[in-house]
Amino acid sequence: MDAADLELFERSLRHALADHEGPGLDEALEALGWRDALSIEPQTAVAVLFELLGAENATSSALDQVLTAAAGLDDEGAACLLLPPLGRTDPPGQLQDGACVIRGLAGSSLHHRDAVVVVARDASGGCVALNVAKAELEVRPIEGLDPALGLSELSGTIPLGSHASELGAADWSAAVAQGSLALGHELVGAGRAMLELARSHALERVQFGRPIGSFQAVRHRLSDSLVAIEAADGLLAAAWEDGTPLTASMAKAFAGRSARTAAGHCQQVLAGMGFTAEHPYHRYLRRVMVLDQLLGASSSLTRQLGEDLLGDRRLPSLFPL
Amino acid sequence: MEIDAFRAALDEWLDEHEAALAPSHAGLGTLDEEMAQLAKVRRLVYDAGWSRYGWPERVGGLGGSGLLRAYLGEVLTARDLIEAGIYSMPEVLAPTMIDFASEALAAEMVPKLLRGDEVWCQGFSEPGTGSNLAALSCRAVATDEGWRVSGQKVWTSLAQYSARCVLLTRTGDADSAHRGITALFVDMDSAGISVRPLETMHGLEEFSEVFFDDVLVPFDRTLGERDRGWSIAMDLLPYERSTSLWHRGAFLHRRFGQLLSTVDPEALDPRRVGEVAQLLYAFRARSRATQRRLAMGETLGSETSIDKLLVSTAEQAVFDLVAEGLASAVTIGDDAQSRRWRAEFLYSRASTIYGGTIEIQRNIVARRLLELGSDR
Repeated sequence: MDAADLELFERSLRHALADHEGPGLDEALEALGWRDALSIEPQTAVAVLFELLGAENATSSALDQVLTAAAGLDDEGAACLLLPPLGRTDPPGQLQDGACVIRGLAGSSLHHRDAVVVVARDASGGCVALNVAKAELEVRPIEGLDPALGLSELSGTIPLGSHASELGAADWSAAVAQGSLALGHELVGAGRAMLELARSHALERVQFGRPIGSFQAVRHRLSDSLVAIEAADGLLAAAWEDGTPLTASMAKAFAGRSARTAAGHCQQVLAGMGFTAEHPYHRYLRRVMVLDQLLGASSSLTRQLGEDLLGDRRLPSLFPL
Repeated sequence: MEIDAFRAALDEWLDEHEAALAPSHAGLGTLDEEMAQLAKVRRLVYDAGWSRYGWPERVGGLGGSGLLRAYLGEVLTARDLIEAGIYSMPEVLAPTMIDFASEALAAEMVPKLLRGDEVWCQGFSEPGTGSNLAALSCRAVATDEGWRVSGQKVWTSLAQYSARCVLLTRTGDADSAHRGITALFVDMDSAGISVRPLETMHGLEEFSEVFFDDVLVPFDRTLGERDRGWSIAMDLLPYERSTSLWHRGAFLHRRFGQLLSTVDPEALDPRRVGEVAQLLYAFRARSRATQRRLAMGETLGSETSIDKLLVSTAEQAVFDLVAEGLASAVTIGDDAQSRRWRAEFLYSRASTIYGGTIEIQRNIVARRLLELGSDR
């Protein structure tokens, strides 16, 4: 896309998010060709949409589509793809003894579907996708910290056959990598939105006869938030260019840490006003805390990276000029 | 030449000339040894053409994008042939001459700097003006013969080795602030200049006090316009926060890598190692994007303060890990390698101070990027 196309694309996505929510939003995204964009220019499609989703605190089934497409599954944009359990990155299904043991999280699209796509690992380490009827699984709708996200916890052991039809091989690590980048952009979007809330508050709120944004202690918190967000955004862009699971995981973890850093600074700047339920801030904090845990938590991904580096005893050469 | 071809050809040349380029000292050298090594490497890479790429032909360059300069400094650092901090100084000094000196002066002087025939310094900070640069008071008075300069500079890196100085002087009223500053290109062997090196806490006489006592500077050594020196300083800051920082990042990568290969893995918290690695790669991603923008001809501005904040933080984070993982080297080791880790740890304490403190960088981010208005 050139600059003009990109602007048009972003504007139409922005409109879709402003006018729709839930299944209506998914239909609007489909109608304006977001899934086509995903197959032609995945980085642009994912970066623009997910940053907007984060900024608008919106919920859609776009993550299902990113994972499905990256896994190499063809689903006509209709599947709900099961995510691993909270904090995990391994496939949500495990094939053993002619059955599939399933445990994972489903996004909001599950509410409008009769089936869920489960990627399962077999004994040889390969992954297949199964179409599993929702009625066969135990489903716990999740309220939790961020009820607006509409997550459900699914579990069950399903015999292979009529209730679990095979959809073909799935590239799980590619799915996790691209899903991680999508979540990273959503975290960046949420970070930017929190920063904008805190920034406008700092300009308007007067104490001691001055806008609080004139105090260096406040300015430096906001500045540190911007640095964290921009650093995360830059690492995401480099991870797309690099195209490996290593950098996707690193970028997702760093985006989670950065969004949480920004959340902390912004909450302090918003102070008592940001602590009320009527102020939008808390919705971003909730979203950031949950997104940080999906497809691997920043804490465990970061620890794993450190363990790998200490094990390899070297720092990989990445991001050449 | 494009970056991929340049990289391949340069890497091959560096392999071939490994012996000629290698430092004669092991571990941490004295500053004299480091300066001699730097001069040797500069001459070899200049005579072979490598360091002329990325500079315009009118100053003896061979053209091509600035990415080539960025890679040259990176690979020399990665191979441990130079110390990135002192190597990178021309990245700021040469653009000053190219943009603000007369064509003849730039054409005469820049090749001497790039070839390592001369070392230059930057006379900005004064005893009374650290962060508040615009309050500088080193005075230049116009006379019939030229400028007469009197005053003092401090924290002037490598002044005792320098043949020239890019000097900021007060030419307006004492309270003219940023409106009354003029930049001059001064020969350091002029009568009336005295240099007193200062020993830093990491044990090198890396910077100096420089005293100017009625020093005559010809008018044709004025850089840019009279009383407009502030805009030169402002125009140069983004250079200080682009290619130089890329080189700094390469240094941090090398030393972090060496830490990983040396350390007892049990001595470090893996989560902390992961955090520092993410920060370092995030800086590298950001700095690469800045390099590419520069290469595309974009003008860099306040957004480079983000690059500076990231690398400052990353440098201290890397050496905090060093102090933890290689605690005995840093605290009680007296061999060459230990002395080097210790010196670099101590030097890293300054990374949030030099080149504009992180407080000043945050002020720039708040004022220019977040548009938070005045802080008064």
